[in-house]
Order: sequence, then C-alpha cells, then structure tokens
Amino acid sequence: MFEEFYTIAQSINNEYIVKAKEHGALCIGYTCSYFPEEILHALGIIPYRVKGLNVSSLSVADAAFGPFICSHPKCLLQHFADGDYSFLDGIIVTPGCDSMRRIDECIRKTAVNFNLPVVPPFFFHYTVPHKITEYSVKWLVDELQRFIDSVTKHFSLLFSYEKLKESIAFYNRMRKRLEELNALRMHYPARIAGADAFAVFVAGLSMPRDRFYSMLESLLSKYNGADFENRRRLMLIGSANDDIDFIKTIESQTAVVVADTLCYGPRLDIDYVDEEDEPLHALALRYLNHSHCPRMYGGYKQRLEKVVGAIHKAQVEGVVLQNIRFCDLHGAENGLLERDLEKMGIPCLRLEREYGPMADYERMRMRIDAFIERLDVRRIVNTRS
Amino acid sequence: MRQALKQYNFDWMLWRTYEAGSRLLSGTKREYDIALRYIPYFRDPVKEVFKAKAGQLFLQMTATYLDNIVNAHHRGKKTCMTTFCFSPAILYALDIVPVTLELLTVMMTFLYKRGTGEFLDYCNEAGFTETSCSSQRGSMGALLADIGTPIDMVVTDSPGVCDTNANAFAFFAAYKDIPFFQLNMPPWLVEERVTQYHVQDYKALIAFLEEHSGKRLDNDRLREILRELQKQDELINELEQYLCYKPLPLPVTTCLFIYAGRFMFAGMPIYTRLLEMLVNEGRENVKLHQQGIYTSKEKSRGFFCYIDHYTHSLRLWQMLEELNIGYSGNILSHFWDDSNPPVVHNNWKEAAYSIKTQTLEDMLTSIAAINSRMPMIKSIRGPYDSPYMWLQDTLALASMYKSDFIVYNGTPGCRNTWGMVKLLAQDTEKAGFPTHIMYADAFDDRVQSWDATRDRFEEFLRIRRLI
Amino acid sequence: MIVAGCDIGSLTTKVVLFDGKKVIASSIIKSKPKPEDGAYEALQQVCAIATVNQDNIAYCVGTGYGRKRVPFANDTISEISCHTKGAFYLYPNVRTIIDIGGQDCKVISLNTQGEVDRFVTNDKCAAGTGRFLEVMAKVLKVELQELSNMAKKGNEAITLASACTVWAQADVIKYLNEGISKENIALGVCKSMAKRVGVLVNQASIKRDVCITGGVAKNTAVVKELENLLGVTIIKITNVDPQLTGALGAALFAYQKAGGK
Repeated sequence: MFEEFYTIAQSINNEYIVKAKEHGALCIGYTCSYFPEEILHALGIIPYRVKGLNVSSLSVADAAFGPFICSHPKCLLQHFADGDYSFLDGIIVTPGCDSMRRIDECIRKTAVNFNLPVVPPFFFHYTVPHKITEYSVKWLVDELQRFIDSVTKHFSLLFSYEKLKESIAFYNRMRKRLEELNALRMHYPARIAGADAFAVFVAGLSMPRDRFYSMLESLLSKYNGADFENRRRLMLIGSANDDIDFIKTIESQTAVVVADTLCYGPRLDIDYVDEEDEPLHALALRYLNHSHCPRMYGGYKQRLEKVVGAIHKAQVEGVVLQNIRFCDLHGAENGLLERDLEKMGIPCLRLEREYGPMADYERMRMRIDAFIERLDVRRIVNTRS
Repeated sequence: MRQALKQYNFDWMLWRTYEAGSRLLSGTKREYDIALRYIPYFRDPVKEVFKAKAGQLFLQMTATYLDNIVNAHHRGKKTCMTTFCFSPAILYALDIVPVTLELLTVMMTFLYKRGTGEFLDYCNEAGFTETSCSSQRGSMGALLADIGTPIDMVVTDSPGVCDTNANAFAFFAAYKDIPFFQLNMPPWLVEERVTQYHVQDYKALIAFLEEHSGKRLDNDRLREILRELQKQDELINELEQYLCYKPLPLPVTTCLFIYAGRFMFAGMPIYTRLLEMLVNEGRENVKLHQQGIYTSKEKSRGFFCYIDHYTHSLRLWQMLEELNIGYSGNILSHFWDDSNPPVVHNNWKEAAYSIKTQTLEDMLTSIAAINSRMPMIKSIRGPYDSPYMWLQDTLALASMYKSDFIVYNGTPGCRNTWGMVKLLAQDTEKAGFPTHIMYADAFDDRVQSWDATRDRFEEFLRIRRLI
Repeated sequence: MIVAGCDIGSLTTKVVLFDGKKVIASSIIKSKPKPEDGAYEALQQVCAIATVNQDNIAYCVGTGYGRKRVPFANDTISEISCHTKGAFYLYPNVRTIIDIGGQDCKVISLNTQGEVDRFVTNDKCAAGTGRFLEVMAKVLKVELQELSNMAKKGNEAITLASACTVWAQADVIKYLNEGISKENIALGVCKSMAKRVGVLVNQASIKRDVCITGGVAKNTAVVKELENLLGVTIIKITNVDPQLTGALGAALFAYQKAGGK
C-alpha cells in the first residue's frame, strides 16, 4: 500500500516528474519549508523539496564546504555535482540556516571550479526574516512578489491571483487530508507506522501535487490501519530529516513515532492559509507563523508549548531529540527541551548524528534500545502504582 | 564546572586584574620592572600591550568597561547582553550597560593560560552544543552558571548573518527566561527596501530597550554620541592612512585597539582619547620614519580576512612581531563610514553610512545604517562574491594595505564562514594573494594547540617564500 | 542454575557465568573481526574455567555493540541497562554510573530501585573514550595498561588539544619531538580524557554514590583526575573486574529471565 510512496520518497527523481517534464512541465527545487509551494503550483510548476538521500561520496561537497558543516547540505550539494538534480529547471536557496544558505555559493562555484553544468537555469535567493512583526511580514510579501516577478520573467509565464487563490484552496484541501493521515499515527494505539506516514509526507514533497493528492485520497480510503499497541510511543524532534531509514531505525520492532516536528514532516499542526485574506499576505503570515524551526529566534516558549500540546494529544511516552552534528540551532534547542520536558516528567533521549547512510547504525540503535528499556521500566512502575 | 571556579564572579576578577594592569605604568620604570617579577602569569600580555604608547589607556578603557558591568546594578543601571557586531552606541544613549560576550571571552583568554575552557564546557553541561561558536560560549558559560553580573535583557543583530551567534543569545534568553530582541539582516545591503527594514527594525529595538530599561531615549544624548562617533570615524580614517604605509609606522596591535575600543565604547569619549593617542603615535612615527615593528624591519605584510587569534598573552601579535610581519587591519577594524579610505578610493558611497544629526529621524536612519555595517554584519550577510560582501572587502583591504598574503582564522563554530572560506581562498589566490586557512579556534587552544597553529602558519610563510 | 552474560564491545568481548549467588567464571578477550568468533572463544574460556558444559547454561543475555551477534544468546539488552544492573548489584548505593568503554562514554543516573532514570552519552567522536587512550598509548609506544602508572609519575602535565583525537595525536608527537617526558605527556593525556568525561558527567547532574565501570575504570590516573574535577569520590569496583560490569548485568538479567530471583 505504501510501496509507491516509499519509492518516490527514497529516490531523487521519479516517473511522475519524468512524465510531467516530457509534457513540458517545469520543476523547481527549494531548500527550506519556509517557501510557499502554492506559488509554484499556481504557475503550473512542480515544486520539489530537494533531498540528500543515498550519497555515497562527498568528494565535491568537501571541496566546497569546510569541515565544520552539517552533512545534510553537503549531501544536497553532492547530488547537484553528481548531476542528480539535472531535471530541476530552477533552485530556490533560502537562509533557513547558515550551512544551507551557503549552498548558493557552493553550487555556483562548483559549476565553475569543476566545470560541471550543475546550476539550474533559474536561480533564486529567497530571504525570510527570523521573526514575526508587521514589517517582517511585509518583507516576506515583497519577497514573494519579487520571486513571482523573477520566475515569470525567466520562463515567460503568466501569473494570476485567481490561480494562486485556487492553489491555496487546493493546498488547504491537501493539508486536510494530511491531517487525517497524521491522526492515524497520533491515534491510541497508533494505526500507522511512523516510517510509513513519513514516506507519504516526503513523497508529497517530491512529485506533482495533484497526482500526490489523488494517491493520498486513495490511500486514506483503502487503508484499514495496523495495530501498534505494544510499541512505545515516541515523538521525534530536531534537525531536518528526509531519510525514512532513520525513522525505521528508531522504530525497529519496539517503538512507533507518533508525532514529529521535523522539516519534511507535517510539523505538528497542519496550519491552513487564510483563503479570505489577500493571497500573498495570507501566505507570508502562514509560513512565517507555522514552521517549527529554531531559526525563528526568540520563539522557544511557543515551540515548547506546541511540543507539549502534541505530547499530550498523541500520548507520547518519550521524546527523541536529535541533531545532525554542527546543527547548532536544533542542538541547542534540544538542550532546552530536554531540560524542560524532563522537568515535566517526560523522558527524553538526546542524540547527535550524521546525516546520510546510517554508518552510525549500531551506536544509534544502542541508545534507542536503552531509551526504550527506560520507557519499559516506566510503564511497569506506572502499572505498579 | 569545578566548585572552586564558582567562588568568585568572573567579571569581577577580570575587572580587578585589568584595573591593576592599567596602573602598572603609574610608577617609575624600576617599580614597573619589579612589579613584572611578581606577576609571572600576566607578564607577557602586559608587555605586549605596553609596546604601544596607547597600551596603558587601552587597559584603562578595558578596566572601565568591566567596572561598568560589575557595578551596573549598584549604580541603578540595567545590563544588556549583546554581541561584538552590535554597536553599543544606542545602549549608551539609553544609559544601559552593554555586556558583550565576545569581548569578555577575549579579555579572559588574553590573561589566563587555561583560557575560558571550563566556561566553554559549562555551556555544554547546560545543554548548549559544543559545536557552537567559542567566542560566545567562553563567557556565556560563566553567566549561565551565575558567576557574573545578572543580565536584564538580551539583544543580538546577527540573525541573517551568523546563526551560531544569534542562537547563543536566543539560548541564553530562553535558558534564563529574560527578554530577547533580535535585529534581522537581509542578505544584501544597497536597496531602499533593506534600508527601510533596518530603520523599522531599529525603531522596534529602541521601543524594546525603553520598555525593559525604563528609560526614554534622549535625543540630545543620542546626538552627542553620534557626533562623538563622527569624530572617531575621522580619527580612524587618519589612522588608516598611516596603516597603509610600508613599513608600518604603528605597532601591530593598533588594529586590535581600533576594533576592540569601538566594540566597547563606540561614541564614548574614552575611545576618542585612545584613537587620538594612536593617531599622535602614527603622526610622530611617520615624521621620524620610525617603524611600528620593534624587532627588525618589516619583511612581509598580512591581512587577516576574518578575525584574529586571541589565546593567551596576545601571542598572535607577539608572533607577527617575531616574524617581522606587518599587520594593518582586518575585517573587524572596518566600520564603513562614507569617508573611510576604502569607501572613498573605490567609490562605494552607496554601501557606506553617513551620520546626520539634525532630526530624530536622521539620527535613527544613521544609527540603523551604522549598525547594519558593523564588521561581519556587513561583509558576510550575503553570498561572499556579491557586491560589497566578503570577497570584495577582502581584496580591496588587502590591496589597500599592500598585503603580501591573506589569512583566514575563525572558529569551528563559524558555520557561515566555513561554508564559503574555501571558495573565498580560491578567489583570493587567483587574485594573487597567497592565502592560508587556519584550522584553529581563535578562542580555544584545546581545538588546535597554538604551537601547532604557529607551526602550520610558519610552514605556509616559508613554502610561499613570504619570510 | 547457571546463566551467562556476554558483552561484545568494540575493543573487548566479555563473558560472565553466574550461578544465582556469585560469578563463577569470567573472561575478557580482544574482540574479533567477526563478533561471533569472539563470543564463542570467550564462552569456551569461561566454560573451561568453571568446568561447565555449554549446554548446561540455562539462559544467556547478549549486550554491547555486538549484542545481536551473540550466537548463543536467548535475548539482548542494551549495555546501558546491563551496566546499571551490574553496578547496582555490586553497590546498591550507587546512583551515578560513569561507563567509559572503547568507543563511547555513558553517564547513567539510577533511581533507588536500581533502574535507569536518565542517561547521557558522548557524541560520535573518539575523544573521551577508551579509543582515545589507546591511540595515545600507541603514539607513546607503551602498553595501554602502563599509561596510568606513567601518568602518576608525571609532575607537569602538558596541555592537549582535547576536542579531537587526531589533533591531540599531532600534539603528542610534537611534544615527544621536543623532548618532553613521556610521564608528563601521559599525565596530560589522562587529564584531557578526564576533562572530556567530566563535561558529560556534569550534563547528567551528578548524584552520589558515583561509580565507574568499563575498561577505562582501570586507569587510576584518569579516575583520580575525574574525582578532582567533579569533587566527589568515585567508587572503584574491586570485587570484579570493572570491565565485566556489563556482562555481569547481562548475566543477572539472564538469571531473572530464566526464572531465578
């Protein structure tokens, strides 16, 4: 039932993109969840959230990036260098974090230094403020307009607000469906494996969205649900993750990930875009307000509140706080979350890891096993009392 | 952290040490020599600082800065934790005491052989990542452990420029549950939209500072500070001329004094006095054809395209002297006012700031522009090869100072520069500057020992026939 | 009833036989490229010592990184739980366990029932692990076991880059070339190691009594330095080899699982 979602989520290109491109569709990649896909959709462009999966060497990435950089953007760069993203007609680079925004220079210079055709024809540096104020929302509205002007000019496309409104409504409908999927894993007992749910989420960022929507509808109508009663219910928090194997490693046979705050995931609440508001303003507001990322400095309390809300709602037994090495934003926030959640009696496991093929598998497994054993003891103690 | 370390506030210890150091030259030469015998631990940094005529004033200024911090609350003032790339002028205008993490870290690493090691580690113990920048962690650890002046509010202007910096301040504010404000920096500089954003953001900052300090911004006080800043810019610009001479007529520590002073006391008369003293020394040396390097003749000149190396005893500067290397300036010693020599020489006025003090709006626009052109804030906010960014600044300054080579030194915590420095180095090499990347941590010898750092640096100089 | 615990670590493989009252035999050997081979060899050794037939072992729990590769294990349990079990059995007052193994370091906080309350582990770097000491001993051309005694003879420790084993190694070589005594270098190595571990211990917020397990527990110079840093006395396990704590815990779990009390 999930095979197709897995295939799409676990590969870079897929048949849907290939076919759509054969019919003349454009596909534009982006690096950060702060970019509103609705705009691309309204222009008939396939939005593609770039992934770093299955990289076997970092030869080019290491030559461009220094040694103290998170391995996720390095893997992205390597894919570009290896020509895996040659199907992209454009790329949108966002200062989601420092490592990620330097993809800008690294891709461009890799093209020059290695004489590789790795820079997609359309290249856009999209900037997002780190806070929510009237003037930062205005900045983002202007930025969206700048993007529309630039992309329509580059590809000679026509943009219409009517189409954008339609796309906003479409995405809201899709969010509603994703919310239903999310409810399956938050259900007690969980009715879907976290890895399966995550495969759907990631696939949804990697293919034409209309097609994804129909696949999602079909899944929801046919899926009978599984039973994960005897597994410990975990929440996964921290650095960006597009790797389903990582979720599988955590779940193994003993746990189920019932909630997460991950980039590429649904990020707690599936917020909707206000369809009554002026479209760009509505998008700017939703995207600045929604995303659960410590790049929004000073927003820790609100994020903690949301995490605690999700923990109660999904009856989470333990929280896995992971960060990719050199991802200080999540690493530091994980420190705060660990302190505050443990104080509330919610067990936490903090992990630092590398992104990429799971060379670290055994070390990771041992920590997770020990954490599950800790949760088991807790269950027994709770039953005793 | 060891219990013993928690017995005394670290800022108080620093204050007393710098205060004592600043009085060492008050007696006779003989008394000074005898005093040095009794301070084996601090002898080297003291000697290095006093090589410059302005050294004593520099130590006095540092002691005053620490005095302000330690005694802020006794004097009824609020403290604001902030960063080196935030101009403290606005805090002085509101009578708020700046507590600049990176400055405190350096003040400590200069003096103590163990540096700030245990404070760095304490951050980790408190839940902060060890991969974060050591420049903040060095002193933040002490403040997290409550062995420093309590902090009333936190302000940073690095979001959009440096994540690890912004993140350190956000972490501290969340950890201690105190008010936090961030100025955001878009990735480019020259555009009306950006200027507007800076000004609006700055106005929000002032509202925040007023709310949490209980003080109102006094226009006359702000005007006075901005005029003092103008004066300071003029003095720096004169110094820049001397720093371009070859051989260098000023001590190699001059650049350090320029930026450290500005980070401590922008717009305050004490910094003006320091600059005046440096200018006088420059004028006199030029007149007498006197060199700034006292050991021998300047053999080669380096430009540090990022920051310096700050561990014990100012040994970076000691080493430069020993190797007869002239050192004029780095990215930190540039503030980009409209009459700054590289601005005038390259006709970069559109990217520079100018100070206008007639109306409040003029002043706010000026101070927002000053702040958004602070070192690092200006040069690495966007792609390194964009207009007015890191590459352009580096090449212009290295050429202006007639540098023979370029050195990058930073910290492993600097995600932002490590994301592009290899590319920058390729470009500077192409432009004809042998370029050396140090893998050291400017604030923590435990990452790469100073000896190893020096060995590799000297190897670079030898291989490239620079000494 | 005789049960076994088998702990396959990155550097050594340990097996303990337990009869419900005491450890009747134990073995520590170097881990093999194929973990199964090491497990069999260690098992054969203990069986020979205790003159027990392998078939008479009622239950075996595997632990350590190679726990899934113990061919004769009936069940597997993480070494965090096993070290906790073993240490609590030996010292019921223990509330914090510092376990420094070959490739990582863990600090475990226990409740009064001897159950894991919280634990923290080091990152994936070798600094602060047994591997760090092993690498340094190799550079100093001494046996790992000698490092501790050598350090005790040192009087002026060298400062070492402690964040990275590779850089620290470069520093040690440099000090050797400068003619600094091996004793002072060894002392610097042990201090650096202790500092690294100390940070981790403080992250877990220390509760008394504190004990140390794992191979590095045998390095008394590191332990002494840790005591100085943390300001607590660290209990040294003397009734069994501290390296065996995990295997002992596994054997205790095995005994429970086999129906023993």
